[in-house]
Amino acid sequence: MISLGRKKSVLAAVAVTSFALVASAVPANAVDGVSATEIKLGITVPQTGPAATGYNKVAPAMKAYFDYINASGGVYGRKIKLVIKDDGYKTQSAIDATNDLLLQDKVFALVGQLGTANHIAVASKVQLAKRGVPSLFLNTGFSEFADKSKYPTSFMHFPSYATEAKVLSTYIKDNFAGKKACLLAQADDFGDDAARGFATAGITFGETVRYVSGSQSSAAAAGWVQKFAGAKCEVVVTFSVTTATTVLLGAAAALKFAPQWILGSVGADPTTIRIASGNPQAAALLSNAISASWLPDAADTSDRFVKFFREVNAKYNNNVDFDANVMVGMNAGMLTVQALRAAGSNPTRQSLINAIETKGRTFVSAAFAPYGVSDSTHAGYTGFWIGKFNASGALSPVDTGRTIYVTDSAAGPVNKVAPKRAKLPAKGIPTNS
Amino acid sequence: MHKLSTKKAFIAYALFGWALVLVADRVSELRVYQGATIAILTLAIASIILLTGYSGQVSLGHGAFLAIGAYGAAIAQSYWGSPFWFTFLIAILVSAAFGFILGFAAGRLSGPYIAGTTLALAVGLPTLANQFAFLGGETGLVYDAGSPPARFGEEFTLYKWFFWIAALVVLISIFLLRNLLNSRFGRNWKALRANPTAAALAGVNVASSKILAFTISAGVAGLAGALLGMISIVAPSAFPLSLSFTIITGAVLAGVTSLLGSMLGAVVLVVVPEIADAIAHRLGDSEKISTNLPGFIVSALLILTVLFSPNGPAEAMRKRREAHAKH
Repeated sequence: MISLGRKKSVLAAVAVTSFALVASAVPANAVDGVSATEIKLGITVPQTGPAATGYNKVAPAMKAYFDYINASGGVYGRKIKLVIKDDGYKTQSAIDATNDLLLQDKVFALVGQLGTANHIAVASKVQLAKRGVPSLFLNTGFSEFADKSKYPTSFMHFPSYATEAKVLSTYIKDNFAGKKACLLAQADDFGDDAARGFATAGITFGETVRYVSGSQSSAAAAGWVQKFAGAKCEVVVTFSVTTATTVLLGAAAALKFAPQWILGSVGADPTTIRIASGNPQAAALLSNAISASWLPDAADTSDRFVKFFREVNAKYNNNVDFDANVMVGMNAGMLTVQALRAAGSNPTRQSLINAIETKGRTFVSAAFAPYGVSDSTHAGYTGFWIGKFNASGALSPVDTGRTIYVTDSAAGPVNKVAPKRAKLPAKGIPTNS
Repeated sequence: MHKLSTKKAFIAYALFGWALVLVADRVSELRVYQGATIAILTLAIASIILLTGYSGQVSLGHGAFLAIGAYGAAIAQSYWGSPFWFTFLIAILVSAAFGFILGFAAGRLSGPYIAGTTLALAVGLPTLANQFAFLGGETGLVYDAGSPPARFGEEFTLYKWFFWIAALVVLISIFLLRNLLNSRFGRNWKALRANPTAAALAGVNVASSKILAFTISAGVAGLAGALLGMISIVAPSAFPLSLSFTIITGAVLAGVTSLLGSMLGAVVLVVVPEIADAIAHRLGDSEKISTNLPGFIVSALLILTVLFSPNGPAEAMRKRREAHAKH
């Protein structure tokens, strides 16, 4: 308890005031993250915890690509340093880690932030917009992140979940008309965004199961399957994280429920399913399932981007098991290098944002669909191709021409176009300005 | 020696608050954010000091009350549209109500049994968020303090706004707690802690005193939880079991009977990870070291405190001053 004498009370007051005045003289530091020799970027991703399986490959893959670029001289002579923080896929940790990146590590920009809820919380609590901190190439498909008025410094990487839902709706209408379709979706912004896309496309589901993030388990999945089986679902569409897809497919196999699966791209990575299930043969559960993708399949070594990324992976990423997560990380890295180049030799946070808005559409990448960014929207890629998994987990296009279904997150039409991609730059090193 | 009168204490608290405002205006944003965290932990530790240091009841799961307060405030704001400042009152009332219920159990239990009951609450409570969609699952609920008033200018950051709110709420709360602990209730709780039988013989209603302590402590913890939700998010990840242990650690480091020491405990909890980071950096940015060193340092401090100053450094300093005054 406080028990000071009168004299000491006065002394304490004087000390406190002196401390305040002395501290007042300490100047606040400016944050930049760009020096003559280095550009410091930051990312928070789940490196530990239940969601780390698969997602923990994204940041190291991005760093591997930056290391490759650094070995070739960096960007305008500056090496890119990527500071990776573990957020455990928890909003609280994502906020803390982002605070560390901005206030302690003083990064120039964030890149590849992962998770819808995490980025909503980070953008709101850390006030990225007010600080003018660019958050580049978000690894989430939540449509609202494209809204420049709401997230003026954030740029999407993934196509939106609504876009994917509209694309899958078109495929369902074309191929499964008259069949009873059902939906498993996460009960949050991720699932809501997809549900909006399906509603816009005019798809109605005979049975919809929403699960709360974190509640997915084998027991819960058995309940989902019983609902779908009870409703006699012939086509089951999922918008779930990989761990939920894994337990769903496992429970369905155990209960001998075999509808036509149509899996949202977020939860359909065969490598992650293998690891999450602890079963090396688990990718077989995906056999004949339909899914959408915007990148080439990681197993498609005939693709020039896949081949190049695999080489970088071998040399700079300890040759980890190459999958969609590694591709996503490296693709975001390639976009980032082009954004930094486009921002000029003396980049500021604002010049970086302006560069992506004005030149982002021309950035080269592995994606087959066009990159949708402009000075009025911060959308990511705008389309998908549809594929079917084989028993070993490889996804091959359902049609020989690999038709790309292009659309927006709103009520725009779904257009079917031929794939069009810029050529991989020499040695995979962008030279844009 | 004599305790400060309420009026003088009020002036001292106001002076301290003024000094904090001056400091916050000049230091970096990181320090301001850390300042807000220290303020919130101070209040959380104070709730333990009231419960354990005064009434002698041990809670190992006080983080649960922080979570209850935070969720109460966030629900009031998100679903009922309650004004931000009013949600603090909701946080206090909701968590105090839970504390009141648990207090009944505490009235019948003692020692490790109360500790076990509160621990079970802290373990079980966060999982509820995954069972009810309106609690937001793992992603939680956003609890928004709003932007700082425009008259403070463009330079006035959100973190400074958090700090101002947290510092103001905590200073007022600690001032009120100080007065409460100096009152008849505080004396009753002290008597209860020293010897419940003697306290009962002296006319103290043991059961109702215990319940009252639990209720108020839970209410204070709930308020701290709302403040914590304000600077971060209201989600299970913000209220892990380790939060309960962190608060207890802070209370032991503070000296579990010293309200003034609660700030010292909070400072240690916030500063130690930074020291650990600096050491890890000097040792070559080893992830292993930076992950494990904060826990090691806090554990070492805990052992040293229990060995050499079991009532905490603030209490030790007070005793030294008293001894010095006698001579």
